[in-house]
Order: sequence, then structure tokens, then C-alpha cells
Amino acid sequence: MKTDSFDVLVIGGGPAGLCACAELSRCGIKVLLVDEGPVLGGQLVKQTHKFFGSREHYAGVRGIEIPDKLQEEIDEKLITVYSSSTVVGIYPPNNNVLIYRDQKKVEEHSFKYIIIATGASENMILFENNDLPGIYGAGAVQTLMNQYGIIPGKNMLMVGAGNIGLIVSYQLLQAGCRVKKLIEAAPSIGGYLVHASKIIRMGIPVQTSTTILKAIGTEKVEGAITVKLDENWNQIEGTEEEIEVDTICLSVGLAPSYKLAVHAGCKQIFIRELGGMIPWRNSSQETSVNGIYIAGDACGVEEASSAMIEGRLAGLNIAKCMKRLSEKACNEKIDDNLISLDKLRSGPFGERIVEGIRKLEGKSYE
Amino acid sequence: MLPKTADIVIIGGGINGTSLAYYLAKKGIKNIVILEKNFVCSGATGRCGAGIRQQWGTPENTSLAMEAVKLFETLSEELDWDIEYEQCGYLIPAFTDEFADQFSKNVRMQKKLGLDVSYLTPQEAKDIVPDLCVDNVRAATYCSTDGGGNPLLTTYAYAHRAKELGVKIHTKTEVTDITVSGGNITSVVTDKGTISTPMIFNAAGGHSQEIAAMVDIDLPINSYRHQILVTEPVEHFFDPMIISFDYNIYFRQVKHGSILMGCSDTSEKPGYDTTSTLDFIKDITTRSIKIMPKLKKLNVLRQWAGLYNVTPDAMPIIGDVADVGGYFQAVGFSGHGYMLGPKVATLMAELIADGKRDEIIDRLSLERFKSGNITVDSSVC
Ligand SMILES: Cc1cc2nc3c(=O)[nH]c(=O)nc-3n(C[C@H](O)[C@H](O)[C@H](O)COP(=O)(O)OP(=O)(O)OC[C@H]3O[C@@H](n4cnc5c(N)ncnc54)[C@H](O)[C@@H]3O)c2cc1C
Ligand SMILES: Cc1cc2nc3c(=O)[nH]c(=O)nc-3n(C[C@H](O)[C@H](O)[C@H](O)COP(=O)(O)OP(=O)(O)OC[C@H]3O[C@@H](n4cnc5c(N)ncnc54)[C@H](O)[C@@H]3O)c2cc1C
Repeated sequence: MKTDSFDVLVIGGGPAGLCACAELSRCGIKVLLVDEGPVLGGQLVKQTHKFFGSREHYAGVRGIEIPDKLQEEIDEKLITVYSSSTVVGIYPPNNNVLIYRDQKKVEEHSFKYIIIATGASENMILFENNDLPGIYGAGAVQTLMNQYGIIPGKNMLMVGAGNIGLIVSYQLLQAGCRVKKLIEAAPSIGGYLVHASKIIRMGIPVQTSTTILKAIGTEKVEGAITVKLDENWNQIEGTEEEIEVDTICLSVGLAPSYKLAVHAGCKQIFIRELGGMIPWRNSSQETSVNGIYIAGDACGVEEASSAMIEGRLAGLNIAKCMKRLSEKACNEKIDDNLISLDKLRSGPFGERIVEGIRKLEGKSYE
Repeated sequence: MLPKTADIVIIGGGINGTSLAYYLAKKGIKNIVILEKNFVCSGATGRCGAGIRQQWGTPENTSLAMEAVKLFETLSEELDWDIEYEQCGYLIPAFTDEFADQFSKNVRMQKKLGLDVSYLTPQEAKDIVPDLCVDNVRAATYCSTDGGGNPLLTTYAYAHRAKELGVKIHTKTEVTDITVSGGNITSVVTDKGTISTPMIFNAAGGHSQEIAAMVDIDLPINSYRHQILVTEPVEHFFDPMIISFDYNIYFRQVKHGSILMGCSDTSEKPGYDTTSTLDFIKDITTRSIKIMPKLKKLNVLRQWAGLYNVTPDAMPIIGDVADVGGYFQAVGFSGHGYMLGPKVATLMAELIADGKRDEIIDRLSLERFKSGNITVDSSVC
């Protein structure tokens, strides 16, 4: 086992992880940052659209440009980055960490402080033939197109009209694909109006109260059958429609990726508003396990802007524990970030999250 | 809602509880209730290696396992459910003369009971598993009718068919006490309410001693954590379960290509902890590649742990007891309750429903520990 010269391990180099690194390095703390991907940035590296949100959190900037801006904040001398490397386990009671370095060899480390910023993973839904080649998650489609320049197919059915479904549909159009239909199980479109209007203006038919019944094809997707849903989300017989497509793109929500936290022994609770089961945490972003913090989508699916603040909060709270900054200075910065977070969540789209956080803070993990 | 009364309450939704419910219901017993504190298969059953072997060190374990194999051979058909049972064989290499001697005695006993088992040279063992490293192998034993199944499918199938026959399964319901009056069971208390019942069946796996203690029965049983892992699936390259008592390890390639691998840690203390450790991974990977170097290339997907419910002679405790009327049990399987559970359940169903007492029930009763002269099965890992 390596006895490390690092003070903190940050797992995940998305907006949450990068911001945590920025705060830690500013306080002179040595960090090991591990990310599974070949480049840092997490979800941002595939987001070619201009960001929504507030200006102090990069609204108007394209997602792909944000990681560079964040990395400028980080003192390179204090950060060691293992990219294309995966943290595969955190073993209690000593926080022994296994890292699959360069996807080649396993290394064992031990850390007093760990920030889990592993983001979220895409949901899958149940329908006949949902394992046929040609069925993708929206995130995978985005990675293929925006990161690697590969078009997944020609004629698409998009399932799910949240922001991601809307944005990815638009990006598919930009890439020259045909989105034949966008279906949504809920009675109305879930995403922001700006994104929805673009899609509708481009003439993509959007059908609400509709879901996918089955994929057609033997070797790969050749079509799909959709069906209408009544107000109780039951399928309405006789409303089945067949559509000829070669690709089905599922954009049906994200679930926090917190398996490492569970492995480390962090207690979980169920909060629907934050994405279901999540690790319990306090307002310092610390979990039930001493020294293990969690930030970003990993502790409740939200957005990049809030992920960034949560990452900063986790970093600052560790700096405070390590006494690398005066308590007063820490508290001031922590308060500033808490205020930004509140501001960010104050709009109508933040209501659900605020409700979730309220429930979280009302509960102990016992 | 928990029913107010039952004719029998089965505690535990593992292989033992569900199979007993099925066989009892098939015999026409009504008002059977299974109480399970978590979910079906949450105990040892859903975590086990699911090997089915007849090459044991005592006649009791061997003959019971031979009967169990007969049952497994037609179980998919009986339950109309593919439980992924396969007779892929068990190969048991001996790396010391001591085990080689022991094995030849075992084989003699097993053959006398009618088991088709062979005592092999290292080369013959390598012919069966070409990737086996036989450098230090002294001898091996092999039985082609040994094998394994899928414990989740088996238990769900039993539970499903039992439900069809009217059995009620209450999950997330924990038994907290059992009341006895005039020497007979009268009711079961749970965190969701109380059920009056004249009979209970203790099938609580790693927690069986806690249930027994509720009716003042002191079982000579301890639970121990056993860890296990599964690798990524790869193309099929060996058939039998390989098990070594020298290395305290077993592994087999299951149907979809993954390798299931477990080992015993002799320093483990009795307890109920089921967390996974890093030491286990390091330990088992070092041990296993000595037996099969090719395993070195595989990636580990997951690791987990479950409880062995262990008796002093490594044989289960089954049947009724003298002092508490209406109390029945099938506990202390000592790491081989998946393979023995269904057969034991048929015997227990005959005892409970028909009053028919197979002689093995007496041989494996709690009473045997009173005499003090027990024979320990050492073919355990
Ligand atoms: C199509 C789309 C559009 C969006 N648009 C906006 C927008 O306009 N404005 C906005 O604010 N938000 C937007 N978001 C949301 C935003 O991208 C996410 O909320 C944000 O990226 C979450 O940040 P994170 O750091 O928590 O996680 P991520 O960005 O998901 O980063 C997690 C990182 O952890 C790594 N990782 C995971 N597990 C391991 C492991 N075991 N070992 C090592 N590394 C690991 C991953 O490789 C990844 O790099 C959008 C999301 C999508 C999908
Ligand atoms: C790692 C490992 C590998 C193994 N490999 C093999 C193998 O290869 N072959 C083999 O035959 N066997 C093997 N075994 C042993 C086998 O798994 C067990 O003997 C068998 O599953 C026991 O079944 P059961 O139904 O008695 O107990 P369990 O499956 O443990 O079920 C008992 C149930 O009772 C419930 N319970 C406990 N207390 C209460 C309560 N108070 N109220 C309500 N419910 C309660 C539990 O939640 C549990 O679900 C292995 C075991 C382990 C741990």
C-alpha cells in the first residue's frame, strides 16, 4: 500500500470535483484527483450548448469551455491528476481506496479526506427488446457526437422531453440526423421553454402522454411501437403507433452515482426530490462517515452550477477541518457559497430541490 | 396486513423457508405464513456459491446430498422454472499427503453409499481441467454428477409456486419474540403485529440461534462471515467446481461465464458482520492463481459476504425438539444449506404433515450433541 503524500482524494473531475480542487489548492492542500474519462470536465465535455443559469456560474458560456476556466483556478503544483483511472472501492474502516490506474493496474491508497463527485448515471426503462443494438442513452449519444464526432444513426425516436431530451434532439438535428418524433410520458414537456421552442420550430413532432411499448427488429433497431397513456399513466389500448427508426434515444432521467459512498459505509436515505436513494449529508456536504464528503449530481441530480458550489463547499469544509485557513476566513467563504446556492435554487425550477434539501436536513441518518 | 392466525409460521425467506412452504402446501397444509425480515433471498441463500456436491466426509452429509441431487435433477421440471441446475462435476485436488489419504478414505465411504466418484492422479485431473496447475497436486477426487444451480432462481421459483398454492409471504417483517404456553408454541410476535400459531419453523439461517433463544433453546451454533466474489464473464474454459481444502477455496464458472469464487478465513470470529474487506480480495486472488494461473487475467466485478451458520460437526440440525411442542427447525447448515435445503424440506414436510419420521432426522437432531460423541465432517471450506 502506498502511504500517500496527498491530503485529500477527489473522485470525479466534473464541475463539482474541479471546484473542490480549486478551493483545496487555494488553501495549499495537496489533492489527488481521479477521473474515469480521458479528459477532465465530466458531463461538461459534451455540452456544446450555451449554459443556462446565472452569470457568476458561467451562464451563456458553452459547457465545453467551462472545464478550462475551472482548471485555471487550480494550482497545478498541488494537484496530481490520474485520468482514465477509476476508483473501484472505498473500504471501511480506514478508507482504503482501490484505484484502477490507467485502466491497467490496481493501486491501493488510504485517505483521511475524500470527496465523492462521481455525478449521475442514466436511467433505463422497461420495454420489449430494450437490449437491441441501436438503443442509446441520451448521454451516450452526446458523448458519441460531441466528443468523438460519431453519429449514432439517421432516423431517431427520442424518448423523454426533459432538458436533456430537448437539447440532445436539437444537437442531433445540427448533426444532420432526423428526429422523427419526441415522446414524453408526462402530460407536458418537462424541460425549459427555450429548448422546447427550438425543437418545435424545427418541426419535430412532440407527443406528450405517450411512451414506448417495444422496439422492433432482430439484429438491430428497425422501428418502434409507441402507445398513448391515460391520466393514470395506463396504456390506452388501440392507440399503438408504429414508427420506422434505426435509433432509439432514451432520455428518461438520471440517478445519482453514489455506489462508492455506500461501499464506504455512508448511510443512505430516500428523498424523491433529489433522485431517490441518496447518501445522507449535512450542509457541509459531509456524509455519515467522518471525512467523506459528497458533492454534485452524486448526492442529488441538479445542474452544473449547483454542483460547482457544492464542490466548493466540500473543499472549504475540509480546509476548515484541516485548519489550513482561519476559521473566520473559511466561514465567510462558506457563507458566500451557501448564499449563492440559495439564490440559484430560488426560481421555480429550484422548488423541487429546495423541498428535497428541506427533507434531507430534517432527517438524521439514524 | 399480517394475518391474526396461522397453522404454521415459517421464519426466514431463504431456500429452507420457501422450499418447506412449497412442500407443505403441496401436501394440502393451509394457512402457511412465511415471515422474512428483509426480502426473499436476502440472507445466505442469495449470497452463496450454490455448489451442489456429494463428496462429503461423513455418511450423513453424503447420503443427504445424494438424495438432494436426485431432487435437483427434476426440480426445474417440478417447479416449471429453469433454475440453471447443471451437473458440471466437482474436482477436489489434494495438495498434501494428509488430504490425499483422507480423500481415499472418503472415496471408499462414498462408493459404499453408491456414489459414482473417482480417485484421480494429477494428470487425470489435468485432463478434466487443462488449466489446472498440478505441480503440487498429490491426487484428486472427481464426481461428474456434482454441480450447481442458481440460488436466486431456485428460491424465487419455490416462493412463487408456494404463493400459487396459497402461502402468504410477508417481507420486511421481523420476528422479535415467540410465546410458549404449557410447553407449546402459541404465537409469534413481529414488528408488524402478532400471529397466533401452534407451529413455527426456524429457517432463519445465520440468525437461527437468535430465534431458538426466543423459546429458550440453546443451539450449539455460531455464525461466521464468509466472503465471495464474481469476475467478469469470459468464454467457458472449465466445467467443474474446483475446491481445495488446502487453500480453503472454491470456484466455478457459472452459466453466463463469470467465475464465482469464495474462501474461508480461519481467523474469522463468530458474529453477524457481512461487510466486505480488501484483505479478502488480496487473499483469494493470491490463493486462486496458485491453483489456476490463468485466473490472473480476470477482472473482479463484485464482492460480497454472507453468514455460514456453523455446528460443531458441520452437519445441519433438523427436526423437532423434546421440550417445545410445535417447534421445528432446519438450521446450522455450515455452508451447504443451498444443496441440502430442498431435500431436508421434503423430509420436514413429511414429518410435519404426515408424522412420518425419516431416520436421518433422528441422526441430525439436536439430541445428537447430548451424547458428546460426534463425528466432524472435515470436507468443508
Ligand atoms: C444534455 C445536458 C445538458 C445540461 N445542461 C446544463 C446547463 O445548461 N446548465 C447547468 O447548470 N447544468 C446542465 N446540465 C447538468 C450538468 O451537466 C450536471 O449537473 C453536472 O455536470 C454535474 O456535475 P458533477 O461534477 O456532479 O458530475 P459529472 O459532470 O457527471 O462528473 C462526474 C465525473 O466523475 C467521473 N467518475 C464517476 N465515477 C468515477 C469513479 N468511480 N472513478 C473515477 N471517476 C469517476 C466521471 O467520469 C465524470 O467525469 C446538463 C446535463 C446534460 C446531460
Ligand atoms: C459465501 C457463501 C457461499 C456459500 N456457498 C454454498 C454452496 O456452494 N453450496 C451450498 O449448498 N451452500 C452454500 N452456502 C451456504 C448456504 O448459502 C446456506 O446454508 C443456505 O442458503 C441457508 O439457507 P436458509 O434458508 O437456511 O438461510 P438464509 O438464506 O440465510 O435465510 C434466512 C432468512 O431468515 C431471515 N431472518 C433472520 N432472522 C429473522 C427474524 N428475526 N425475523 C424474520 N426473518 C429473519 C433472514 O433475513 C434471511 O433472509 C454458502 C454461504 C455463503 C455465505
